[in-house]
Amino acid sequence: MRKSGYLWKRSVFALVTIYVAITLNFVLFRVLPGSAVSRISKVPNASPALKHALEVQFGLDKSMWQQYVLYLQQLLHGNMGISYQNMQPVSDNLKSALLATLPMVTIGTVLALVIGIAVGVLSAVRRGTVTDHATTNVAVLFYAFPTQFLGMMMLIFAASFLPSAGMTDPFAIYTSWADEAGDVIRHMILPVLTLVLTLFAENTLIVRSAMLETLGEDYVLTARAKGVPRRKIVRSYALRNAMLPTITLVALSLGSIVTGAILIEVIFSWPGIGRALYQAVLARDYPMLQGGFLVITVVVVVFNFIADLLYFRFDPRITT
Amino acid sequence: MSNTSIDAGELVPEVEVSHGLWVTLRAVLRQPSAIVGLVIVGLFVISAVFAPLLTPYSTTDASCGVFDPPSTAHWFGCDDGGIDVLSLVIIGGRVSMLVGLFATVIAMVLGAGVGLLSGYFGGSTDTVLMRITDYFLVIPQIVLMIVIAAVWGPSLSHVVVVIGILMWTGTARVVRAQVKSLRERVYIKRVESLGASHTRIIVRHILPQVGPLLVANAVLAITVAIFTETALAFLGLSDPTAITWGTIMEHAFDRAATSAGAWWAVVPAGMAVALFIMGCYLIGRSIEDSLNPRLKVSYLSPRSWAMRTLVGRGPDAL
Amino acid sequence: MSPEDARSPVFEIKDLHVWFDTGSTRRHTREVHTVKGISLAVAPGERLGLVGESGCGKTTTILASLGLLPPSASVSGQILLEGKDILAAGEKTVGPHRWNDIAMVFQGAMNAFNPVKTIGWQIAEALRVHRTVEPRERRDRVAELLELVGISAANADRFPHEFSGGMKQRAVIAMALACNPKVLLADEPTTALDVVVQDQILSLLTKLTEELDLALILVTHDLAVVAQTCERAAVMLDGLIVEQGPMTELYRNPQHQYTRQLFESTPDVFSAPVASHEIAPVVAPLLDVTDLKVSYGGRRSWLSSLRNKPSNDTLAVDGISLRVQPAEMLALVGQSGCGKTSTVQAILGMVPTGGGSIKVAGTEVTGLSRAQWRPLRRRVQMIYQDPYESLDIRFRVRHTLEEPLRIHGIGKSAKERTRIITEALERVGMTPPERYLGRYPHELSGGQRQRVAIAASLVLDPTLLLADEPVSMLDVSVRSGVLELLDTLRRDLGMGILMITHDLSTAANYADRIAVMHQGHIVEEGPAWDVVNTPTHDYTRTLLAAVPSPDPEVRKVS
Repeated sequence: MRKSGYLWKRSVFALVTIYVAITLNFVLFRVLPGSAVSRISKVPNASPALKHALEVQFGLDKSMWQQYVLYLQQLLHGNMGISYQNMQPVSDNLKSALLATLPMVTIGTVLALVIGIAVGVLSAVRRGTVTDHATTNVAVLFYAFPTQFLGMMMLIFAASFLPSAGMTDPFAIYTSWADEAGDVIRHMILPVLTLVLTLFAENTLIVRSAMLETLGEDYVLTARAKGVPRRKIVRSYALRNAMLPTITLVALSLGSIVTGAILIEVIFSWPGIGRALYQAVLARDYPMLQGGFLVITVVVVVFNFIADLLYFRFDPRITT
Repeated sequence: MSNTSIDAGELVPEVEVSHGLWVTLRAVLRQPSAIVGLVIVGLFVISAVFAPLLTPYSTTDASCGVFDPPSTAHWFGCDDGGIDVLSLVIIGGRVSMLVGLFATVIAMVLGAGVGLLSGYFGGSTDTVLMRITDYFLVIPQIVLMIVIAAVWGPSLSHVVVVIGILMWTGTARVVRAQVKSLRERVYIKRVESLGASHTRIIVRHILPQVGPLLVANAVLAITVAIFTETALAFLGLSDPTAITWGTIMEHAFDRAATSAGAWWAVVPAGMAVALFIMGCYLIGRSIEDSLNPRLKVSYLSPRSWAMRTLVGRGPDAL
Repeated sequence: MSPEDARSPVFEIKDLHVWFDTGSTRRHTREVHTVKGISLAVAPGERLGLVGESGCGKTTTILASLGLLPPSASVSGQILLEGKDILAAGEKTVGPHRWNDIAMVFQGAMNAFNPVKTIGWQIAEALRVHRTVEPRERRDRVAELLELVGISAANADRFPHEFSGGMKQRAVIAMALACNPKVLLADEPTTALDVVVQDQILSLLTKLTEELDLALILVTHDLAVVAQTCERAAVMLDGLIVEQGPMTELYRNPQHQYTRQLFESTPDVFSAPVASHEIAPVVAPLLDVTDLKVSYGGRRSWLSSLRNKPSNDTLAVDGISLRVQPAEMLALVGQSGCGKTSTVQAILGMVPTGGGSIKVAGTEVTGLSRAQWRPLRRRVQMIYQDPYESLDIRFRVRHTLEEPLRIHGIGKSAKERTRIITEALERVGMTPPERYLGRYPHELSGGQRQRVAIAASLVLDPTLLLADEPVSMLDVSVRSGVLELLDTLRRDLGMGILMITHDLSTAANYADRIAVMHQGHIVEEGPAWDVVNTPTHDYTRTLLAAVPSPDPEVRKVS
């Protein structure tokens, strides 16, 4: 009964956060000075009919409050306006972009997590040894490299033997489904590698310090006195407890995952949501910019909520 | 016990009360990584201060050919406009570090203020302030920065302000956790029961204790600020005319240095960022580690204790 | 059973030395010699007490016996288990005996359990690791172990945070017994527990050693605990055993100066002075609390008042009345959670009251604002429990003592302030004061720190002192000094003192009157001797029955 209180609270928090982001989106683009109210209908080269339709949909001649209500209504129906760049609905553009982004970022993040946990645990358990110093220093070094720098190094030194632009080869003729998938995977190697290199270091350092803290807990000493083998102490005691701060800190680093993903998509011309955002900035495509902001925020909030669920699953002490 | 993942401050490591700045400083300096960090950051600061004297060539006029590779005359080669890369990186460091510094100052003032109020007064003040902090933490900041920078237009001062006001949340959480635990300390209660005012308690007893932690946090925040600046610059949201480490890399990417194989147009600026951030990180981490008492014990050391045989001492000797 | 006809020892420590590498670069500080050659022996079914103060090396001795020292330690000597030296090849020979033959009950039972696994899982783990029983019998064995220590087997699937302190301590013991060890090492097993629970745990340990023929080494700082539990005791000081023998011998005829000092500092509730000086009621008492109520929630937040939420109405203090006269010491005795701390907090104006009145020197203080309180703070001063925490470690003694003067604008010149400060230091027995003025807290011992904290109160010339467990965090041997100091203050300066304590023995020996508090109520109040010797309330009797006496002959009143 009390446990469900936690889930309830976190769900409300997630929903409220999304609502705040939606409102912020409205305020930033339509209320703040410098953000022309009518921009959403000023699609370049659009027919007067389309412009008029947008003006009616978003009630651009009405009061700010009515506009806000209309904006929410339209959003509920998935209408985020028309992209300036290709005259397509923003939602359609974002849908295909999101489908390109998610596999690349998910694979990269999961790999970075696995490597980060493995290296972090190793380094904490072998604290003070050569292994520890070596892994920690490598992690700090990669933590310090800007993503775009790593990405450009990949372009310069690996582009000769691996595809480095786009998601597929535009001139390829596929003979089978597997053939196409293989091409996508080949294209994915460099972006994913760059993302992993950017992210694993932070994860390693997080896991290492969380592990070091749990290794000093009394229950580890108890386990040793009980005669529990080292390997088991590391797994069931130290790592199991270190997972809790790790989940939270990794959830908090979702922001840096987003940053990394945007930069990587730009560098490797990956047709994802980060690149869409970048191009929207360049083209001053405000409807796309708003849509991109909203979608990324919602995705991050959802992943945060997943982290909450994991935390709930891992910590028996949660009661409220 | 409630330990939700976003409840601010819950996972901030417990910090030992510092024995004054000097003791902390000595503990920090005992760590080799802190020395390395200080040396790195020190060299960068010196090069920034004396930048005009150190640059071998002009940063506006061409002094060599397009994408000339490194040579004895131009150690780091030249960019697409025939401008000496070494000079660019030295001058660019100035602006980058200043951007990092100013953004950090804004973040520290906001973060320390919110954290102090929240942690000291607790109760509803705490609830409201931390709820706000939670929302800022969840919203992906880089995207918000892109939006704000895009709406306001590209300019260095916008970048500084945007980074500053979106970066304070981490500091607020750390400071709040520390102040909250200090608030429960017996000596603070004792001073309060002596009749001391809130101002006196905060200024004389709490701030000095939070100080070292705030320094560690600021040093780490600089790394985030500089990272963010280079990212924003890379996305074309910084002032395109300013020379920073970020714009140097952006410029190189923009002018296809990568397809020209001109790694020297990218590597020096990238390495400068990496080195500087590593230096800051090493310093910040050393301070945090020396403040964290829980890191001093490990019950699972790879080595074991040793047996020692006593020479010339029987079991009866005492 | 006297040691002469004891069976041959099952567990023996012979000439054990432990050194720690401090990592210092200076040669003479590179190593500390913590345990300096001690020898002990314990027979099956025997209980041996190892008594000493913090830092004497008793915990190190225990950890060395199990081979659990950190890598900075070097060890020499022998640990004999049934005559076989298990230290012979270091970790390799100790390892197999852990938990199978020698088990341990750790000091911090609160943290001895992995918070994310159930109690049952953790007890079963010992069985799993050592293959003590067949896998399908494990659950039954866990249930059996829990029942053995008095916990219902249904609790096996609960998590550590769902157990109370006493239950956790019982569960730790159950876990220790999992593999039928021959020797049990218990390190301060009752230190964090209330006296009634402590009594239960000690009885449990006694029962178990008898039933299971278990050899027990009980490590503690509390002589009374050993006196009530063990047949023999060893007194440890600075890495050496200074005296060892049957408990009655040690009590009757202590040979070593330090043993004598320890016994003198351990107050005995049953040998309290018959009657302390009687105080005639004064017209205006220093402190007059009538029908005080304090709720748990503490301060009501402005958010919940906005939302019109009613504040939490469970009462931590439910209508108590107290009076302290000049030159009188009143002890408020109760276990943790009984509301005694909330009472003091309310008297100090740190938490809001939920009803009743508090008069300090005739002035009503409930509902006063921070500013209105300030002049009154000079009259009422508080002494806190933890001397290690109650001083700002960045402040020298001089500054700690100067701060209250500055807050209240006392002493116009630096010279006058120095005079007040040195006087206060002299009064608390820190002479010559000049020696201490420039010191930082970490350069002082625990007792000295507590004296400085008291001095920092005295500079304001208060009439009423509130002392919250003033000695419970101090080493036994310095406790009596601080208590004597409080006694002198009230006699010489006529201060009224309200002392909060969990320890009836201390209260009986130093206070004029005792008020026993239980679940927010004062269940009994009266002259100290009467409360201890002719208790009227059941709860007081329960408490008294649980208080251990340092005299091994005194068995508890039932």
